[in-house]
Amino acid sequence: MTAPTHPGDRPSLRTLVPTFALTALVPALAVVAAVTAAPASVRTPLALGASAAALLLCAAVTWAVHAARAARGARRRLEAVSQDIGRLLQQQARTTEEARQEQQRLIGELAQQRSEFADSFEQERARIHQDSGQELDWYRQENDRLAAELDHASRERAAAIAAAGNASGRMQALATATLADLRAMEDRHTDEDVLADLLHLDHRTAQAGRLADSIAVLTGARSGRRWARPISMESILRGAMGRISGYRRVRVHSVSETAVAGHAAEGVMHALAELLDNAANFSPPTAEVHVYVEEVPAGVIVSVEDSGLVMGDVQLRRAERAVAGDSTELGGLSGTRLGLAVVGRLARKHGLKVSFRPSARGGTGVLMLVPQDLLTRPVADEPASAKETEPEPAAPSAALLDPAPVHESAEPDEDEEGPTGLPRRRRGRTLAEAERRSAPQPAEPRPAPGAADAQVRAARFDSFRQAVRPAAPDSAETFTETSADASGPAGAAAPYAPTPVPDPAPAPHPESEPESTSHPHAYPEGDPTS
Amino acid sequence: MSRPGRDDAPDRLYTITGGRSSTGPDSPFDLVTLVVAESEPAAGMQSEHAAILRLAEFPTSVVEIAAELKLPVSITKVLLGDLQAAGRVSARHPYRPAITDPDILEQVLVGLRNL
Repeated sequence: MTAPTHPGDRPSLRTLVPTFALTALVPALAVVAAVTAAPASVRTPLALGASAAALLLCAAVTWAVHAARAARGARRRLEAVSQDIGRLLQQQARTTEEARQEQQRLIGELAQQRSEFADSFEQERARIHQDSGQELDWYRQENDRLAAELDHASRERAAAIAAAGNASGRMQALATATLADLRAMEDRHTDEDVLADLLHLDHRTAQAGRLADSIAVLTGARSGRRWARPISMESILRGAMGRISGYRRVRVHSVSETAVAGHAAEGVMHALAELLDNAANFSPPTAEVHVYVEEVPAGVIVSVEDSGLVMGDVQLRRAERAVAGDSTELGGLSGTRLGLAVVGRLARKHGLKVSFRPSARGGTGVLMLVPQDLLTRPVADEPASAKETEPEPAAPSAALLDPAPVHESAEPDEDEEGPTGLPRRRRGRTLAEAERRSAPQPAEPRPAPGAADAQVRAARFDSFRQAVRPAAPDSAETFTETSADASGPAGAAAPYAPTPVPDPAPAPHPESEPESTSHPHAYPEGDPTS
Repeated sequence: MSRPGRDDAPDRLYTITGGRSSTGPDSPFDLVTLVVAESEPAAGMQSEHAAILRLAEFPTSVVEIAAELKLPVSITKVLLGDLQAAGRVSARHPYRPAITDPDILEQVLVGLRNL
């Protein structure tokens, strides 16, 4: 800060001029006076000296005045500056005080805000903590609830599957028993209309049995029946055909003489039935479904070819996934499309390999490989059993049946002798010989009635009676009846021939036990008669 | 009734005959018709047909064939009808005995049972 410059602070030389002039006046007068007064001899030096002294005096006075003035100006400036300094110090003190107050205020505000924030933060944290606790509780409850639901659902699922499996097992048993009953009725009733109806019922029951089998397979329950012996391929195919609705459209081309082991026969049959059913259902209702059986080193390939719809890529993949049997999931099943899932289960169980390909017939071809370890040769069943494929080829069997030379020469009457002489191999031999000798002529009948004695006719009649004998399982009961009722042989015959005159109407009843032929079985009952 | 599982054959009767259960009215077969095979069984033939051809190598009555095959007579007749249509069997009726009087037959039956 610059103090205002007072006039006179730095006194100019011009201001000194009056002082100098005023001061010079007095010595000048003194000099003049002294000179005047002094003798004339000294007047000149005196005048010079006095003038010089007067000048010096004037200069000194002027300088002194000037110095006094300068000092006064400097003192004034010093005072101004001191005042400025005081003022500035005051100002600074005031500013400092203000700043300190401001600082205090801000610190207070900050502390207040901080506490406010801390409070709200605490509250928020408490609230969030509480909320999250509630949330956690809720989630825990929900988790417990869902776990309980899941547990409940899985238990229900297991129970439902077990119930379905159980029910299907009972249905299987019912169907099996019904089929056996129907078979017995088919043997008992000879009326062709009744037989047709029974066959119709038989067919329906077989289809119902297949459905029960399917459910049993899908629920993992015990599958169907067990066969105690190998089942020939022909029977396998027919058994499969018999379980589908459109069996009339199935054409079998098979010369295979293999058989499927008993433990796997039901599974193979069921899987084939499902494949045949698919083929029949997805082809036009008049188109035939062809089944080919081919023996390969790995086993037997059964191919089912239809001329129906060709499966698209997606369907093909889905079908192949289904028959692969990799998944045992029940999801995705619909009530009407159980077949391939069943095939998949059975294929997995028995090691069957099922594949699809386009058929040359325009539709879809399914190949099923029955592996070698499921195959065997059919058991050499009783020759009388027509349900087994004969293991030996046709020509050797004919040779085996060829009569021995001893019997060739036998008399006709010898053949007919005795009721025990009714083995199958003797049947009609003499007549055949007669036929061969005179083929074009009308065949000679069996021994002429005139020549036949009662024994012969009894034998013939007995054989006839054996042929038309009804249901075999009753034999056990008949035995007890016979032993209990000692009235005579007629009592034994009564259950079999209710009418005295044997009517041709009673159907010949095949033995229900495949291991026994009708004739050996007949012996015990023939004995009391003879 | 027979015990389930013992009459073991998975093939049902209708599959043997393709659903037919009766022959037409002009069928030559009745219970006592004698059947004679005209050919040997061929490979690939239905097993029942092959069995019939083996059985009927010598003249055999329908009822005997049915008994041997353990099939109902009606079913057997259908099978025989198929074979006859294919020319593999021929049918001839047996000699009809002179005695047709039921009374005599009944007396014979009683006599036989009393033997």
